[in-house]
This record gives sequence, structure tokens and C-alpha cells, in this order.
Amino acid sequence: MEKRIYIAGVGIISPLGEGLTVTEEALRDNRSAIKPLDLFPLLSGEPLPAGQVRGLEEQSFLPRTHRLAHIAAMEAMASCNAPPDAVILGNTTGGILLTEQLLRDKVDNKELYRYHGLNSVTEYIAREIGCRGTTLTVSTACSSGAVAIALALEMLNSGKAKTVLAGGVDSLCRLTYFGFNSLQLVDRKGCRPLDLDRHGMAVAEGAAMLLLTTEKPDNPLAELLGAGLSCDAYHPAAPHPEGRGAFRAMQSALVDAGLGFADIDYISLHGTGTPENDLAEAKAIKALFAGPPPMLSSIKGATGHSLAASGAIEAVVSVLAVSKNFLPANTGWQKFDPALGLTPLTQPTTQRTNAVLSNSFGFGGNNGCLVITKPEKFSAQPAPERVNTELAIHGCACLSGGGNTTATISLLAQGIPVAGMANFDSISENLPPHMVRRLKRLPRMTLSLALGAHKDSAFEEKPSAVFMGTGWGALSETYDFLTRLAESKEQFPSPTDFVGSVHNGPAGQVAIMVGATGANITTSGGDYSFEQALLAADLLMEEGKESCLVLGADEGHPVLSPLLDPSIVPETSLSDGGGAFCLSRKKEGAQCLVRSPFYQSSVGEESIGCLVDALGGIQALKDKYAVLLVGIPAAAQEEGEAQLARFMAQSGLKTPVIRYRKFTGEFASASAVAAVMAVSFLVSGKVPGPLVAGNAILLDGNQSAILVLGLGRSLSAMEFTRL
Amino acid sequence: MNNLIAELKLKVIDILNLQDLTPENFDENAQLVGGALGIDSIDVLEMVVMVEKDYGIVINSQEVGEKIFSSLAALAEYIAENTSGPSS
Repeated sequence: MEKRIYIAGVGIISPLGEGLTVTEEALRDNRSAIKPLDLFPLLSGEPLPAGQVRGLEEQSFLPRTHRLAHIAAMEAMASCNAPPDAVILGNTTGGILLTEQLLRDKVDNKELYRYHGLNSVTEYIAREIGCRGTTLTVSTACSSGAVAIALALEMLNSGKAKTVLAGGVDSLCRLTYFGFNSLQLVDRKGCRPLDLDRHGMAVAEGAAMLLLTTEKPDNPLAELLGAGLSCDAYHPAAPHPEGRGAFRAMQSALVDAGLGFADIDYISLHGTGTPENDLAEAKAIKALFAGPPPMLSSIKGATGHSLAASGAIEAVVSVLAVSKNFLPANTGWQKFDPALGLTPLTQPTTQRTNAVLSNSFGFGGNNGCLVITKPEKFSAQPAPERVNTELAIHGCACLSGGGNTTATISLLAQGIPVAGMANFDSISENLPPHMVRRLKRLPRMTLSLALGAHKDSAFEEKPSAVFMGTGWGALSETYDFLTRLAESKEQFPSPTDFVGSVHNGPAGQVAIMVGATGANITTSGGDYSFEQALLAADLLMEEGKESCLVLGADEGHPVLSPLLDPSIVPETSLSDGGGAFCLSRKKEGAQCLVRSPFYQSSVGEESIGCLVDALGGIQALKDKYAVLLVGIPAAAQEEGEAQLARFMAQSGLKTPVIRYRKFTGEFASASAVAAVMAVSFLVSGKVPGPLVAGNAILLDGNQSAILVLGLGRSLSAMEFTRL
Repeated sequence: MNNLIAELKLKVIDILNLQDLTPENFDENAQLVGGALGIDSIDVLEMVVMVEKDYGIVINSQEVGEKIFSSLAALAEYIAENTSGPSS
């Protein structure tokens, strides 16, 4: 079916100012907003040039990221009276700016850390605009904003939503300011993308959002015609030297949009100003556009690099380009670099512009490109038809305090809890020492899980895409980076820890290990992070032979976990682990099937009824499920139990319930272990008796499906069925 | 000089977590970056930090960096040339 995705509203705040009008004026003035940082005091040295948003009203309780996001969201929603069906935001910093200060001041009141998580930004925005539907929090480093918009496009195409608010946000913080400097990627003279003498980026902040809709608004600003995602699968921090990943993302965005090279009037470059990025991007562009490339520029000489926000900010600039026929200059550029062979726009230019290609690339080799056009200027592409609504599970693996998959499943079958921290040998199992020497806990777990799931499948070919959910990301690397930063009076932060601290680091490592060059998406949705990864996989996995890995993992950290995870109090013994799945749309040879029929970010009166409906209604429910695996995070014990009681009452189900966190312990991606439990039941044909305090339940009749429910702050359902 | 090389071997093995390597089988003349040890640009930056922190020498040019980190012996030589007193 033909579908158009209109951009009904946009919101933007960047170092250039607040709002679309101010942004346009600043870009027309071709001035740079990059100035020495003064957001936080420095313990040593002169402040580096940075892209700081000035004049942001101070509020003590809400982190800066949340406030930036709020401003952009309000502007994007200004023309719309109804809340969107979903909110999808890219974000890498969450509340870390506040957390950094709290850790330095040795504050242990965990209430103050409640806005640390990346998902807290998305949930806050959803709450503020009254959206109760799906929220997805995407963290793919500097491509997060573009990837969030690409996911929104898929969600709209799939018909799962009619309106989505999508974008990206990041605030400046010590982690990114010192981290990029430790990689010697910051230009001390300000940022000069594509210039012969460029020496790097300027770390920045900002937020931008697009209100996307499949229902034509009165005055659509633009149309989102296509998107392309790829992964370099090459290096954790450096781009592929020939720009191969960038090339594939741009190419697939054009294919998705149904456009040829000649249709593109302007390229909004990623253009960070680092020698390597600009060179790789230039090579990719020259390889893709046979003749002279279209007009192009990077606005990062004016704004700096606002990381997760940049892809969304540049999407808004692309909207300006097609709606106002206005192309911004490549601020700061002076000298032609023959190695790049590209001359960007040196002055703001008025030029009829029908179609823009907007590039975003990030750590982990994560690439996302968008095609934004004048509304209804080009033919709409048919949305891909889904024959199979389920994903087929071909292999799985898990890690827990009980050990590897075999050990964990065997203990659980005896009704023995597997809570506790996975031991270091089991998380490093089968991983070559030279490959993991720099990796701490979370990336090791992730690699080990990925290998295990792929080995468990009969697939010989490598998975093409990776979807990873993690509630808190790489805590060891984050903590070690901040600790060494503070201890060395901000002089000697670790570049290795900085690269390892990004949420998508582990998924990027998986891509390198298995050579997965397709989409590579990390989601961070608190206790529903794995569910979000599965939703992302469901949106992006097309019919055909290609397979993907879907993972969920979290590490227990002695200092950070009790401060950040509301379900972990000082008396809780730490647990961690995760699960991984090798999936495709191909049912032949699969172990079982999975689908995600329901996910609601916040729970209201009508939510349980909606859940029952989404599962097929009361009658279907009764005939379907053999057992319920229910996740109620300790922090939401009371409301979770009340939700469960309401669900059982409304559905009339008498099915046994396994509260899986009693077995896995408390950690954000425990649901990934529960999902592996469900698969193990279906493969063995029974639910072990000790888990249901009775006889084993045989899964041979019609009533053989397993429902994994996530309750508490959000409501989620994953359904596992036999072939 | 030999003391400095021995000291650097221990430091590099430690900060880069080169578990397979001991000071005895660490050839100071072998190619350090991009060689068999799998040392890449991130490791170089980690060593840059170590050199600044422990020896007070700032290395911030990539071209110079490539020469300095070509082998452990070259690194030791550069440090010896740029420090006046004995190392820590």
C-alpha cells in the first residue's frame, strides 16, 4: 500500500538559538556559535571551544538533556492538538551531567539519580505531551537522532502508528567534553568541517524533533521519503577508511526513497571536522555520485557536534532546505582539501531544493541517512508487506548468576534461582583474549551471548543486523572513566573507557565480531530495554533470508547499580546477565516463534483492557497460553501485582504464573533471560514442574503458547509460540 | 635506557591489558602499532595519556605519534630525549 510520511511540525534548540525561526536567521547570518565552554567549572586547563546552548533556564531537579528535549518537543507539537501514538528519541547522555556532579559530591540519595537513564528523557517527553503509546529510546552514538527518525518511518509504514514524535537530544557533559578530547578529536580553533586544516570537532548539545504523520496535515512542511541504516563493522571509534558503511547507508536511503542520484539537490553532511570522518564521508559521496556531487555543506562549523541531537537537528535543517529553498553554508571552511575533493557551500544559498540527503554517522560504525523532500514531489514508495507477523527464533543463549545457557536452564528446570552476578569466566567463554583485552563486563557478556545464540542456530551465514537492549549500558567503563577523570583533576581521562562507555559499544563489538553490516540499533528502555530491541527488530527485519541478532544484557556494578536502578537497594545482592536470539522471518528450521503484540510506555486505567485486546481478546487468551512469565521490577512491586491481578481478572485466565525476577534476580534486561526460558520450555516441550510448584506442564496441545509480560511503569507483552 | 624499556614494558602490558605478553617475550624492537599485538589508535591514545601522566611529555601530533610509537624502543628513546632527569 502506498503511504506518505509527512513532516507536520518541527522543533529545534541548538547553540544557534531556540526555535526554527531563530535557527534559520542564524544560519542565514553564517555565524558560528562555537565558543569556549563555561557550562561547568574546569579543574585544570583552558576551556575548549564547544557548542553550548546559552540562556537555558536553570532548574535544579531536571537534567539539562530533559529540558532541551522539552523545548524541542513543545515546538514540534505546537500545531497539533492530539498526542502522537509514539515517541522515539535518540539520546546518549540522559542525566549524566547531573550524575557526574552527584558522584563527585558522593551523594548516595538515589532519588536524585532518577533522571539518569536515557529512557527517562523519552518517558518524560511522552508524559509531558500526553502520549501513552510506544516509546523507544535509541542510543547509537552520533547517529542516534537519525536512527530514531528512521525507526519512526518504519513504524509509520508498518501501520503501528499514525503519528510519531521522533528526534534526538544530548546535553554537554564532562563525559563527552573530556572523552572526545582524550581521543584528540577536538579542534582547539573551533570546528572547520572539510577544510584542509581541520583538526576535529567541537562537542555540542541541543535537541530537535519532527512530528511525523501518515495523515496529510493542512500545511505539511516536508516529507520523509526514505531512510537507510548500516554498520561499518570495522572499528569501535574510527570510520571505515573508505567510507564503506557511509556509502551503504546513503545508497539504501536513496533506494528506500525510490530516488536516483540526480534527484538529490543537497547533501546535509555529517561533516564533524575530524580528519577521518570528513575523508571517509567524502570518499563515500564520490563513490556514490558518479559525476559531480550535489551541493553540500556541514552546519557543524556553526553548531558544533551535538551527538545524538545532530541527526535530528540536521533533519530540521533539511526541512528548512526544502520548505524555504535555503541551503546553509559550511561555516568555517576556507581551504580546499584535495584529498576530499569536495567544495562545500561557502555562503548561505537560495536554491530551489526538492530533495535532501542528510547523513549521520557514529561510534560503533553506526550510520543513518535520511531523505527529506518537498511534500508529494516524488512518487510514494509502497510500504513493505509483512507476510509473517512473527519473528522465527533459530538460536538462543543466556547468561545469569547460574552461568552459561546450559547451566542456567538446568538450574531453572530444578526451580533453583540463578540470581547473582554471572562469573567472569562464563561471560568471557569462547572469546579470544586478544579480542576482548580492552572490554569490560557488558561488552564481554554481549559478545559471549551473540556467539552463543549464533552457534545455537543452524545458520552458517552471518547475521546482517544487530538489535541490543540495555537498561544502563556499560557501567564499568562509565564509572572508571569518571573516576579517573576526577582523580586526575580532569587531566588524564581514559580514551579506552570513553570509547567503551557509549551505550552502543557492545552492539558495535558484536557487529565487528560477526561482520554484521546491516542496521545496528541499541535501545535503552530501562526494564523494557530488551522488549524495545525486539520491537526495533520487528520493524526493520524484512521478509527474506537475512538473519539478525537480538540481545538484552545488563551488568551489575557495585557502585552505580544501587544508585541508578530503582529496583536495586543497598541490601539487594547484585544480579546480571542477559539473553540473545538469532532471528529471521524464515520459519523453516526454527525453534519457535516470537511476536511483540503490545508495548505501552505508561499505564492508565484502560491499559489492561488494551493489552487483552492486543492479545486477541478474552477467548483467544484462554485457549492459547500454557504459562505466564511475569516480570515485576522490585521498585514497582505493588503496582505490578495490582496490574497482574487486574489482567488475570479481566482476561479470566487461570494459567500458572512464574514471577521470573524471583529466579533471575533484579536487573534491567532480566526479561531477555525470561525469553530464553520461554524458548527452552517450547523446545523441551514442557514447563518444568518445580517452576510452577506442581507437575510439569506439557506443551503439546493447543494451549502451548507462553506469554512474557512486563509490568510496572510500562506494560509489555512478548508471545512465544510453537511453529 | 634498559631500565626505562623494562619499566615501559610493564606499563604497556598493564594499561593495554596484553595478557599474552610478559616483559621477557615483549620485543622492544618489534612493530608496536598495527603489528601482531593488535594495538590500534585507541591504544596509542591510552599510551599518550600514560606518557604525559608519568613522564610529563605531551604528544599531540598524529604524525609524530606514529614515529614515537613505532616500537617500544623508539618510545623509550623519545622519552629519554625529552626528559631531563631520571624517570619515576
